[in-house]
Amino acid sequence: MRRSEEPSANGRSNGDDPEIIRAEEELEEEEAAYSPERNRLQEVFLLFAALWRLLRGEDDRGRKVRWMFGLLRPYRGRVAVTAVALVIGTAAGLAPPYLAGKAIDSGIQTKDVAALNLVVAAFVGAAIVYAVATLVQTYTVGWVGTRALQDLRERVFAHIQAMSIGFFTRRSPGVLISRMTNDIEALNQLVSDGVVTLFSATMTLIGVVVILLILNPTLALVTFVTFPLLAIASVIFRIVSTGAYRATRERIAAITAYLQETLSGVRVVRSFGQERRHNDRMTELNDANREANLRTVYLNAAYFPAVELLSAVGTAVILLYGGYEVVNGSLEVGIVVAFVGYLATFFDPIQQLSQLYTTYQQGMAALDKIFDLLDTEPDMTDAPGAVDPGPLRGEISMEGICFSYADDALERQEEGEAVDWALRDVDLHVPAGQTLALVGATGAGKSTFAKLVSRFYDPQRGRVEIDGHNLRGVQQRALRRQLGIVPQEGFLFSGTVRENIAFGRPEATPEEIESAVAAVGATDFISMLPDGFETEVGERGIQLSAGQRQLVAFARALLAEPRILILDEATSNVDVRTEKVIERGLERLLAGRTAIVIAHRLSTIRRAGKIVVLEDGEIAESGTHDELIEAGGAYARLYGAWAESAAA
Amino acid sequence: MGFLRPHRRALWGSLVFAWAAMGMTVLIPWLVGRTVDAIERQDEGALLPLAGAIIAAATLRVGLTVVRRVVAGKVSLAVEFDLRERFYRHLQAQELGFFDGQQTGQLMSRATVDLQSIRFFLGYGLIFITQNLLTVTLATAVMLAMQPELALLALAPAPIVVFAAARYNRASRPALQEVQQRIAELTAEAEENVSGIRIVKAFAREEHQLHRFQRAVARVFDQSIYTTRLSAIFQPLIGFLPQLGTALVLLVGGRQVIDGNLSLGDFTAFYTYLVILAGPLRMLGVALGMGQRAIASGNRLFEILDREPRITSPPRAAPLPPGPGQVEMRGVSLRYETSPATVDGAGDGSVMPEIRENAPALEDIDLDVAGGSTVALVGPSGSGKTSLVALVARLYDPSEGEVLVDGIDVQGVELGSLRSEIAFVADDSFLFSASVAENIAYARPGATRDEVVRAARRTQADGFIGDLPGGYDTVVGERGLTLSGGQRQRVAIARALLADPRILILDDATSSVDATTERAIRDGLEEVMTGRTTFVIAHRLSTVSLADEVIVLDGGRIVDRGTHEELLGRCGFYAEIAEHGLADSVFLQRDLEQREEMARL
Repeated sequence: MRRSEEPSANGRSNGDDPEIIRAEEELEEEEAAYSPERNRLQEVFLLFAALWRLLRGEDDRGRKVRWMFGLLRPYRGRVAVTAVALVIGTAAGLAPPYLAGKAIDSGIQTKDVAALNLVVAAFVGAAIVYAVATLVQTYTVGWVGTRALQDLRERVFAHIQAMSIGFFTRRSPGVLISRMTNDIEALNQLVSDGVVTLFSATMTLIGVVVILLILNPTLALVTFVTFPLLAIASVIFRIVSTGAYRATRERIAAITAYLQETLSGVRVVRSFGQERRHNDRMTELNDANREANLRTVYLNAAYFPAVELLSAVGTAVILLYGGYEVVNGSLEVGIVVAFVGYLATFFDPIQQLSQLYTTYQQGMAALDKIFDLLDTEPDMTDAPGAVDPGPLRGEISMEGICFSYADDALERQEEGEAVDWALRDVDLHVPAGQTLALVGATGAGKSTFAKLVSRFYDPQRGRVEIDGHNLRGVQQRALRRQLGIVPQEGFLFSGTVRENIAFGRPEATPEEIESAVAAVGATDFISMLPDGFETEVGERGIQLSAGQRQLVAFARALLAEPRILILDEATSNVDVRTEKVIERGLERLLAGRTAIVIAHRLSTIRRAGKIVVLEDGEIAESGTHDELIEAGGAYARLYGAWAESAAA
Repeated sequence: MGFLRPHRRALWGSLVFAWAAMGMTVLIPWLVGRTVDAIERQDEGALLPLAGAIIAAATLRVGLTVVRRVVAGKVSLAVEFDLRERFYRHLQAQELGFFDGQQTGQLMSRATVDLQSIRFFLGYGLIFITQNLLTVTLATAVMLAMQPELALLALAPAPIVVFAAARYNRASRPALQEVQQRIAELTAEAEENVSGIRIVKAFAREEHQLHRFQRAVARVFDQSIYTTRLSAIFQPLIGFLPQLGTALVLLVGGRQVIDGNLSLGDFTAFYTYLVILAGPLRMLGVALGMGQRAIASGNRLFEILDREPRITSPPRAAPLPPGPGQVEMRGVSLRYETSPATVDGAGDGSVMPEIRENAPALEDIDLDVAGGSTVALVGPSGSGKTSLVALVARLYDPSEGEVLVDGIDVQGVELGSLRSEIAFVADDSFLFSASVAENIAYARPGATRDEVVRAARRTQADGFIGDLPGGYDTVVGERGLTLSGGQRQRVAIARALLADPRILILDDATSSVDATTERAIRDGLEEVMTGRTTFVIAHRLSTVSLADEVIVLDGGRIVDRGTHEELLGRCGFYAEIAEHGLADSVFLQRDLEQREEMARL
């Protein structure tokens, strides 16, 4: 992992390593999702308890949920259709067992063919209504849910984009990405699946209970006798299986991670000839995985047949008791048949509802996280009345700049605490068209300097002016459109070479693109690519070498015709050949524009109109190469050390 | 199917249990029917035995199902275990060149997704199919025996259900996978935007990126809607068809009961059969779909399992005999088979043809390095330095020519013995997710802590390791603490030292270390290099100065060789590299490493 300047200047320690933070977060999510060891029925109660709290607005999730349903507002019509289809479908789904019983009692038993025809017609009708309602409901709910979450996804993306650069250094990229992906998926589950299941399962459950009670209260109560048994079985299964299932997930994750690692390290494995060791380790992991899975096999083997047994016992109980009642003449055969039918439809909703609590928890956790993000206001928006400075000449001046990556630097200073300034008391004037070279050790503040000029950050004290405009009062995008930045790693976006070069100016003509490419000396390599300008560069430009990426980044910066060019160690990662090519193009790149160059190449630094040596965030000295050598300060010492090592 | 052989008995056992359990399942509705008849006959005495029989049948079924599930589960887990084991060992047996042409993600999905789909099919799918087929057959037989015409009528929609379910399963799987694929694309898009945010902001292109993201989102949406439509159409259809059969039973069967051709109990049994058959019919379709997927997965898996490793020890190969570590190459050329970075653009004739076929990485190399000497390899990137040293360890076999270590062709010796005499320090310094000590002792797991510490001291790693939270027991690597590039390199050098190799290869090994540390490591290296043949690939003059001889490579060929001074005098290319490329990093990065470390601790 590459470290940028900010974290070190920030004094962040190992404990704040984004990787670790991410790992911890994932762990927490995992815990939240799986740790409650509760049984199915209890989960159903918990679910309703949580919903009750929600309805009464006892936690501020009520607000969030209302807001979430607000996302559905543009699709009100379809939501209404869904609701109607859901009610009709559930009702139609409850009809068949009753109608079957009715067919026996009022058609077959009484030998009334007309009545039988009528009941069967109703039966078919109910089945058709059920099918159509399900079709409509499945489609509309899928459509509305996906659509609403699509809107939300775009909103989260736009919101993240509006954040300042400081925000991105504080948050781990993994977390931000998961807000746009996993969390949205979890919400989608809740909206599409969860809500529908909640309503249909609850209605079915209540419907069955009510119908059974109406048909025959005593037989209904006898039927319900099997419930406690189901509950006990579920409790036991739930308690034992939670741990077992977590173990299987952990074990398979361990296998995947190990596989991944030995694949990325395959060169090391081969060159040290350690294949057997990895084979043995894999066998261990593989075996552990089998053990863990075996436990779930035993559990499933015990639980699911047990549930089947219970339904058979339920059937027997109904037949036995109902049978006696029929023989006694207090009950009709059809009712008994209907009861047997209903029993089969009874277990599903309970199962569905118990799974719902997890969906609910995950969805709510995702909602909280997305809300947190959306509640964070973008911190560096344009001030009201910010001006568009128009075409810039490129004169930069800094007055009394103090800057720290810690937001509360000023308060801390007032309280007398030590503040880790990245830049301190910097005064500097760069006339339009001059090339300024920044020299200094890593962490001296070179990149920070460049970032303040691009207004990625605002200084805590002092002002940065370009052409006399204080940057705080300038529209950011209008400013940046006139900047060209070439960072250390040429970051490209997936797409073609052409798209990447024209990134800053999509309307550029092919001729303009070609002349920019020629100016930085990239023509040769691009013509060698399989599809020339139309070659796909892959994710982050992975299909190109580091040097090629950097050439594209140079062409991209040049094509944008920047008034101020910032080269942040732009050639430190390219090989000798590429660097020579770039250096030739540099002349053309720097001509007629203000440039800030952070470089390690002496020839580049020497050519600069002004060299500024930074030490611990302060300007140690400044001047031309000859002046600084003459002064015999820090620069002269660095130069001496270099000359010595070059001669070694 | 070969991997089922060891578990044949268990498999048959589980099938027998499955069939017996199904017999019970089919028996229960018949018993229900008899009970209803008894109720109709007002035969109170028959009720209790019949209800008892239902419970008994159900209990028996539970017992059978439990055994069946356990046995089948064990078989499927054992098959998964065997397959994964075979797959992993097979991967470990493949030569390095194989991995150049493979994407890690692809191999990973073979080992996880494909393996699982085979496991599910073998473990459950097969049993589902036989079990459900049996249920359907038995139920059909019983129904036919009771009332043939009614049975045929009732079962008329059954084939359509199976067909529709199989069809749905076949269509929805790829569609769902495509959703996952598009979500992965969307994630990549999001990732790119988060990591590239500085570029986006620097060029003020937020809107453009938002449009790109919206396109990715829309692609996910379209595909999700497609799958929703599939399930919206098929699921109600699959649910509706059995209902039609039930309606027919009610209508026709009801008339037969009225006409006295059918007892009410048989009628109820029919009705119950149709209710319980809906599940197996649908499952049969699902299991068929599962089978198709498993076959596709099996094909993909066997594509890899059937590939013979290209670099193996010849049969009965002798180990590498002891020697000073002399390395010789005679007329060696190397051409990589697949280049992983080739962009897929076939069919476009406008491109220069010569980069299509892989240019040779090495051409016509003749080389003789005396045992115990140190050779520096210098040249621009892509000139063949890394390829040359890879040949010494036989990570690749040359396309032409031969490589000899101490006079013996490396292709003729036992591979393990050759590699244990060669230690690599590569430029990327890969560390495993294990403790620092384990990483250093990688080549010699039996090394004592003392030996580990000594190796670390020699490479100047002891200092920072002592400052780590857990010292030598700190877990590093992908799932542990992230070390800086320079720290990783020092651990990697220590790892190579502890291997105590005859030939040491330092591939750009000190590139991420600052000048002061490098000087200190160099002292240690100098001591270590004595008595070993050492290849150094370096970009720094100071490292090159360690070498007895410098070999200059360009475009896969040896341009010149000699001492640093000789080459400076006569080789213009070398002088250029030396002036431009070798001295550079020292100028301003001198205390980079120290600061980096301070910031971490």
